[in-house]
Amino acid sequence: TSIPIALYGGRNAVTMLPGGGIGPELMVYVKEIFKYSGAPVDFELIEIDPKSDESNDLEYAITSIKRNGVAIKGNIETKSESTIVQSRNVAIRNELDLYVNVLHCHSYPHVKARQSNIDILIIRQNTEGEYAMLEHESVSGVVESMKVVTKSNSERVCRFAFEFARKNNRKKVTTIHKANIMKLSDGLFLETSRTVAKEYPEIEHNDMIIDNCCMQLVSNPHQFDVMIMTNLYGTIVSNVVCGLVGGAGLLSGRNYGDHYAIFEPGTRNTGTAIAGKNIANPIAMINASIDMLDHLGHKQHSRIISEAVRKTVCKDKLHTPDLGGTATSTEVVQRIIDHILQADLRAW
Amino acid sequence: MAVRFLKQFATPTPTTRYYSSQVKKCTLIPGDGIGPEISAAVQKIFAAANVPIEWESVDVTPVRGPDGTFGIPQKAIDSVNRNKIGLKGPLMTPVGKGHRSLNLALRKEFNLYANVRPCRSLKGYKTLYDNVDVVTIRENTEGEYSGIEHEIVDGVVQSIKLITEDASMRVAEFAFKYVIENKRRKLTAVHKANIMRMSDGLFLRCCREVAKKFPDVKFEEKYLDTVCLNMVQDPSKYDVLVMPNLYGDILSDMCAGLVGGLGLTPSGNIGLNGALFESVHGTAPDIAGQDKANPTALLLSAVMMLRYMGFHDHAQVIETACFNTIAEAKYLTGDLGGKAKCSEFTNAICQKVASK
Ligand SMILES: Nc1ncnc2c1ncn2[C@@H]1O[C@H](COP(=O)(O)OP(=O)(O)OP(=O)(O)O)[C@@H](O)[C@H]1O
Ligand SMILES: Nc1ncnc2c1ncn2[C@@H]1O[C@H](COP(=O)(O)OP(=O)(O)OP(=O)(O)O)[C@@H](O)[C@H]1O
Ligand SMILES: [Mg+2]
Ligand SMILES: [Mg+2]
Repeated sequence: TSIPIALYGGRNAVTMLPGGGIGPELMVYVKEIFKYSGAPVDFELIEIDPKSDESNDLEYAITSIKRNGVAIKGNIETKSESTIVQSRNVAIRNELDLYVNVLHCHSYPHVKARQSNIDILIIRQNTEGEYAMLEHESVSGVVESMKVVTKSNSERVCRFAFEFARKNNRKKVTTIHKANIMKLSDGLFLETSRTVAKEYPEIEHNDMIIDNCCMQLVSNPHQFDVMIMTNLYGTIVSNVVCGLVGGAGLLSGRNYGDHYAIFEPGTRNTGTAIAGKNIANPIAMINASIDMLDHLGHKQHSRIISEAVRKTVCKDKLHTPDLGGTATSTEVVQRIIDHILQADLRAW
Repeated sequence: MAVRFLKQFATPTPTTRYYSSQVKKCTLIPGDGIGPEISAAVQKIFAAANVPIEWESVDVTPVRGPDGTFGIPQKAIDSVNRNKIGLKGPLMTPVGKGHRSLNLALRKEFNLYANVRPCRSLKGYKTLYDNVDVVTIRENTEGEYSGIEHEIVDGVVQSIKLITEDASMRVAEFAFKYVIENKRRKLTAVHKANIMRMSDGLFLRCCREVAKKFPDVKFEEKYLDTVCLNMVQDPSKYDVLVMPNLYGDILSDMCAGLVGGLGLTPSGNIGLNGALFESVHGTAPDIAGQDKANPTALLLSAVMMLRYMGFHDHAQVIETACFNTIAEAKYLTGDLGGKAKCSEFTNAICQKVASK
């Protein structure tokens, strides 16, 4: 995907949506790390009030992302329980047509987790399915919720997945579905993936039913390589695999469309309960910022920061409580900055 | 866990449904493949424990009805309707036209609205997780399984998920009662109402409504994704979970995965016209008729059935004997890494039961 990049004097403007919960504090860390590593990025900060039913903030955020092409984002909570207020997160993804979500789930050496040596690429349809938000109460006490699967979106996601698999030298793609029950909708997704798979004969393709998939993930996860799925199964599988390798605080996720890209923590948690306590794991959001630098083409900066993260997590084993450690968020961030300062910034 | 066991011994719950002195009739659907062997094992163990149950064995192989379609024989339907309680082995659904899934047919016939699946780590069978003790309660009649789907225009398919107040209230009430009757500590409603605000929102509101009637039960609400994340990290965070159909389908299998798969987990289907308990594993045609099958899942389902009927003492004796036999690891079947025959495993349990 080619992205229009706003470059002013060699610097990129990027939209920053801190969201709720731990989002704002994590964004402060990202800005701090960017400052010390000299990353040529200027953030356009936009806050969205979770309690408001108004959509002004939301529209402003979308305009900003359309202008900059790229955003980094925390989870935006929609506090209102009114059924006419949509999830802000979904609205942003739909409005920008970010049809695919990519989550590379890999184990970190020396991070305490249920499983080790996991390396799974989750590729998820990101704009339709169960998140279509078409619901109505036909008669009182009876609600219908529509799940929408389209051939065109299924094909875009499947093609993205196989291209990604080919470029990254992956061996196998597994389609996750429930086509035995939802014969037409999930059936369409499955059929489309089979059709696309034929164009990639060097990549093995198989499929699995979502309930069996979750059972397999917790008992024998190493059989999976690349996985493709519709929206709801995506949130399930992402959270299961992230749980297996160490939780919500580690991995980052990427949302792509044909024109825009948004980077965020992989499991999209708000973390309300741990906000403001200096205990949230900053790694997931920092990884999202590294993905973003990569995407913008600032490879050297992304390499230096990711090397500093690796040293902090895997060598120094400086871990926040969610990973079984005792370090505070700021201690972890400070150590990362120390490593950045020790790196030769003039390496290029 | 052990503490709860002891508590159950110390204060036997009053039998609510049946008097344990009465002999009760119970429908048995042995099923296909390994079904007959594991059903026989259960019958043998029940006999050894002197459970006052008389089995009424029925065949559910589909027969051609007057309208030309295949369906469950009337005799079997009458039996369950009469006894209001049944135990069922695995069934093979023939592939081909005119055959509906038998499981679906049974669910419809008896209005089985709640599916209950306890998952517990077993001593003696080592898996990655050794602290699992969760029960999933799944709404079983609507949701994503409504079967209403259509192609609106070429390449655009809609699938409808149906959530009703009636079904949600019904399963929520069952869940709260289950927590109390089984002395569990907490009920978690699993939902995705941040996205599906009306449908899951309705389910959630029903749970909250029912919660008011059960102020003694600890109740919490969790997003489906958060439950997935936490469950694989630390299953002890959860106890009893209640949720709509699809989420229940997925989470129940995932929890079974945590404790070693479907070969060990029991299941119960609670209905308006009765209850049906079953093993959820398949017919295992590869080992059928060879005395190699593990009867644990069906046996534990039968234990659930006993508790449902109020035979708490018998249930306890049999369950303990089964767990101990597995923990001793002297007579384990092939699926648990042992070499014992199904009959040897069964006899070991019978001996423990008889010595009580
Ligand atoms: N960066 C992080 N570091 C440490 N723990 C985290 C992080 N992000 C999420 N978690 C943990 O992951 C779990 C799920 O996250 P989250 O708090 O978003 O749950 P939730 O159910 O969405 O609740 P809420 O929406 O109220 O925040 C929580 O236990 C949270 O503490
Ligand atoms: N109770 C059991 N005891 C021992 N092994 C079992 C048991 N149930 C299943 N298995 C094993 O697990 C594997 C999967 O079998 P299962 O019958 O569940 O699926 P299946 O072969 O697809 O059958 P079906 O088509 O009836 O679902 C088989 O290799 C079988 O031997
Ligand atoms: Mg959340
Ligand atoms: Mg299932």
